[in-house]
Amino acid sequence: MKLFQCIKQNKYIKRTIHIIFLLATVAVIDLALGNLLENFYFKQKSGWLYRTTYALNETTADLVIIGSSRANHHYHPEVLSKNLNLTYYNAGRDGSYIFYHYAVIRSILKRYKPKVIIFDFIKTGFKPSQESYHRTAYLLPYYRSHPELRDIIETKSTFEKIKLLSRIYPYNSMLVTIAAGHPALHSTRDGDNKGFIPLLDKWNEPLVSYKASPCYDFDKKEVSIYESILSDCKKSGIQLYVVVSPYYYKHESPDCSVVEARKIAAKYNVPFFDFGENQYFLDKPYLFDDSYHLNENGARVFSAQLVEAIKQEESKTYAFQSNLDQ
Amino acid sequence: MAFTSFNFLIFFPLVLILYWLTPGKYRYITLLIASYFFYINVKPVLALVLFGVSAAAWGFALLMSGTRNEKKRRTYFLVNIIIVLLPLVFFKYFSAINNALLKYLTEIRLNWPLPEMRFILPIGISFYTFMALGYAIDVYNDELKAERNPGIIGLFISFFPLILSGPIERAGNMLPQFRKAQSPDFALIAKGLQLILWGYFMKLVVADRIGIYVTSVYSHVEHHNGTSLLFASMLYPFQLYADLGGYSLIAIGCSNILGYKIIPNFNRPFFAPTMAEFWRRWHMSLITWLTDYVYTPLSFALRKYKVWGIVCALLLTFLLSGIWHGATMTFLMWGLMQGIFLSAEALLNQRKSIIEKKYSLEKKRWYIVAGIVFTFLMFSSSMVFSRAATFHDAMVVYNKIFTEHGPLFVGSPSTMIYLGCGLILLLLKDFLDEFYPHKIKLFDNDNTIVRTMSYSAIIIIILLIGVFDSSQFIYFQF
Amino acid sequence: MQEREIAEKLEASFRKVFNMNTLEIKREMTANDIDKWDSLTHMLLISEIEDTFEIRFKLKELNRMKNVGDMIDLISEKLQ
Repeated sequence: MKLFQCIKQNKYIKRTIHIIFLLATVAVIDLALGNLLENFYFKQKSGWLYRTTYALNETTADLVIIGSSRANHHYHPEVLSKNLNLTYYNAGRDGSYIFYHYAVIRSILKRYKPKVIIFDFIKTGFKPSQESYHRTAYLLPYYRSHPELRDIIETKSTFEKIKLLSRIYPYNSMLVTIAAGHPALHSTRDGDNKGFIPLLDKWNEPLVSYKASPCYDFDKKEVSIYESILSDCKKSGIQLYVVVSPYYYKHESPDCSVVEARKIAAKYNVPFFDFGENQYFLDKPYLFDDSYHLNENGARVFSAQLVEAIKQEESKTYAFQSNLDQ
Repeated sequence: MAFTSFNFLIFFPLVLILYWLTPGKYRYITLLIASYFFYINVKPVLALVLFGVSAAAWGFALLMSGTRNEKKRRTYFLVNIIIVLLPLVFFKYFSAINNALLKYLTEIRLNWPLPEMRFILPIGISFYTFMALGYAIDVYNDELKAERNPGIIGLFISFFPLILSGPIERAGNMLPQFRKAQSPDFALIAKGLQLILWGYFMKLVVADRIGIYVTSVYSHVEHHNGTSLLFASMLYPFQLYADLGGYSLIAIGCSNILGYKIIPNFNRPFFAPTMAEFWRRWHMSLITWLTDYVYTPLSFALRKYKVWGIVCALLLTFLLSGIWHGATMTFLMWGLMQGIFLSAEALLNQRKSIIEKKYSLEKKRWYIVAGIVFTFLMFSSSMVFSRAATFHDAMVVYNKIFTEHGPLFVGSPSTMIYLGCGLILLLLKDFLDEFYPHKIKLFDNDNTIVRTMSYSAIIIIILLIGVFDSSQFIYFQF
Repeated sequence: MQEREIAEKLEASFRKVFNMNTLEIKREMTANDIDKWDSLTHMLLISEIEDTFEIRFKLKELNRMKNVGDMIDLISEKLQ
């Protein structure tokens, strides 16, 4: 009793206890809410959060498409699946960057070996930007369950490990999306076709041609991640194709990231297809949804042309191999 | 290092520990070192500018008070002003002046391309320059005795909680506090922590979330319709309030924890029923600075012109305010609009009070509400200039708001929901504080549990929907 | 001039500038006590006082006048 009185009277101790009480309360609520959010996050059966989970944890498709929104909207499942005779999954995600792409590949390779991976590379892919690091946030919910992804996730920022002490933090700003993704409500979401999302508008603005821009210094981390993608696939015996899909605008000088990516691909003997400023597409705005994405028709046409390019590449290799055998 | 970077969350507690470990008399030295460390993290070179300005302020103040010769004092004063203002003018307005000069030279066919120098605007220079100027003017006017200790002046100008974005403090308020050895004031520390918590809420949950929407609309004014532009324009004042207001609370709170009392910067501005009242509640440290050091001398010099003298002083003061905010046409226009609104109010004041008396409007609720709404509309309409990238963009916005209507751009539904929740919470608190103060006590409730739950709730809300990085950006595809 | 006379004339100036016919001023009053007295109207008041008493203030002196009482004292000083 006397000790209690003493504590009550001593200002320093009283304040310290208050602060500890506060921290403990926050920790308990954080743990409880965090668990709740995690639970509902992984209960989802549709939407882009679910598709990331599916790509990382479940897909066993022979052909996997990796990339950003461009990957998600440009590579048509029917065309590619039928003509390449492979099961298909599209793991492209809007607003994702190369750290995310590498994480998906790593997760997949840990579980199984797809036959083919198509990696959609974007112009300015190696341009330094804060956003490419910040968008690694997409992977935060998988930090605990995917130890193989932890070093990639930690590139997001210097103190990511400390931030991850909070259980709510990985689900920051996902509250509404998670709630809307509750299985009871998921029928309200648009379905996807094996991960592929078709775009339906038709673009009809004039073609914009941008002046030549000077080359920029590459983000070294991003270049090294790109090399890791190429080497990891090579080591696992997976056929990787790096593709730059069509844009509805052009630059007067070639994008230096694309140039560099092609060089590195050649080093690893990985086929590199550049449809970025393919004249066939620059003449046809109606194949585009906006200046940056193909619509569904455009996706069909582009996918068909890509199949042709792949088949030509395969026959070259085959011919080379048979020449070697003789 | 911004307050919202994780680095600061590590820096500040470390400084606190060092601060309390330092014996009282020398604590200002610890703070001085910490402040320069804080500032050097931006760029070492910029700290030199800061040092130069501080040295000039300290030295010339001593010279001024060391002589009774009026002419000498005047000279020291003028040189002081020029040296202190020089970096600000140079960094902020160099490119504007450079471009204007270049244009002129090209027109008269004397085309000597000046080197294209790109300078990073030293963060905080607008703020600490004004603080140094205020000190110089106060000493010149014999309001204040010159400080002999260069460390104290150095600390006053570089004090890290205030240096980046204010509040713009006065030497008269800060120097005595820096000289005294502070002992821990628990009430002040608790208040400081509350302010910091609410400041982070305002910045991370409200300001940065609104910012995502406003940016996605304002960066493509050509492609959005008038409805979306109107909505974004009306949201922008709230973003600014939550941003600068929140930041100021963090600054004041950190200072409180260190034991210093700082002037407030915002006082629930959106409940002001007139523009005049608005400017007594918005960015108060800047306005009182401008009032004391620019408007008062100006209106005093022009007082024989009665109301027109006041109008002129108002216009010039707000023009200066515009320029202080930015070196572009848009900020000038913004400042001008403020001056015009206030002048109009001043000119119509007599007639207004006659009508108000006649119908005893002042107490009527609807009249007050109408005043609040009208004031808000005036302010947000002028903010279009401060937000738009160019003068042309601002004109496009005004035009479209009146001519081109259509479906509201939503972008990302979750952004709107989080935005709404945060803003409602903020406005609710302000509303209660304004009209029913002390009715509902949460942060300052006597019961420890209520207090703890309130603090926890805000922390959890920040974790849930605060904007921590740029991964929240909405892509607007057009 | 006696202080009372100064106070009376001062009150008349206040009433004129702020358009408040029944205003009564006291020595302790500051701008906070009178609704219409703010930074916008302050200079009008100063100018009116200068005209009424035929004196000229200096800028430095403005800061010395923290309330009505200070005003009366300063005016009284200047009239001597």
